[in-house]
Order: sequence, then C-alpha cells, then structure tokens
Amino acid sequence: MSDDPDKVWPTGLTLKEAEEVHSYLIDGTRVFGAIALLAHVLVAVSTPWLG
Amino acid sequence: MNNAKMWLVVKPTVGVPLFLSAVAVGSFAVHVAVLSNTSWVADFLSGNELGSGATAALSQETTVLPASAEAADLPMYLEASADGTETLRVILPDGRTGTLVVDDLTQAALVQ
Repeated sequence: MSDDPDKVWPTGLTLKEAEEVHSYLIDGTRVFGAIALLAHVLVAVSTPWLG
Repeated sequence: MNNAKMWLVVKPTVGVPLFLSAVAVGSFAVHVAVLSNTSWVADFLSGNELGSGATAALSQETTVLPASAEAADLPMYLEASADGTETLRVILPDGRTGTLVVDDLTQAALVQ
C-alpha cells in the first residue's frame, strides 16, 4: 500500500506524524484551558456564580 | 508522547473534529444549564443589578391571590394537601376554593 515502511495502518500515519498531530492538539487544549480558567476565575469573583 | 498512538488508529480528519465538537457541545450544554437555572445572567444582559431578578420573582408571589383575599375582617385558610403532593388548598374569605400548586420555592400558580 505504501513505500514507507514506518507507516502504520489503518490511518497510514507514521509514529512521528501521529506525535506531531498529538502535540498540536495538546498545545491547543492547554491554551484553551488557560483562557477558560482565567474566564472562570473572573466570573467567579464578579458574579453570584458558585454562591 | 502519551496517547499519541491513537492517531495511528483514528484518522485525524475524523478524530480532531470529533474532539473539538465534543468540547463545544459539552461547554455549550453547561452554559445553557447555568442560564436556565439562574437569573443573574439575565440580569447582567438586561443591565440590572445582579440578583435583582430573583428578588423580583419573590415579590411577585403576593400578586397571586385574588382581591377577595384582602378582606381584613374575614379569615382565609390554607390547607396542606393530605396526599403529600406539592399543593395547598386555599379557602378564600368569600367561600371559594382553589388549589395552590407549588412548583418550587420561588414559583407558585393558582389553578381553579
């Protein structure tokens, strides 16, 4: 199916490519989480949320 | 990297949109739940002081009773329902009766 012996099926990605995809996803999650954490702290101090 | 091998099994064209959609749907659902169970978000959007909506809802409860209930020299009775449901029997000064259905602590409705 492919010349590259490192490719893994069913996706056909190499382990290095899979780790690259995963690193972007983790980075995005961290940025999203940081912004969300800041937003939730601001809401918690400025509204009746959480009593 | 931990869990990176999942992309050898799940196509990123499927897995990434699925992951982002799950995050979007989950956070949307939580925020809808907050909106529908509190009044201070509506207060904020209306420019009112936060918490004033809940106070207004409480003060509206006094308008549920009809005018005949305000006759000062005649008594009015409230009877707790014997079957344990959240209803009260109201006996008005003019002899009429009604059932007060208590949905929760802040809402009440009068039904004939």
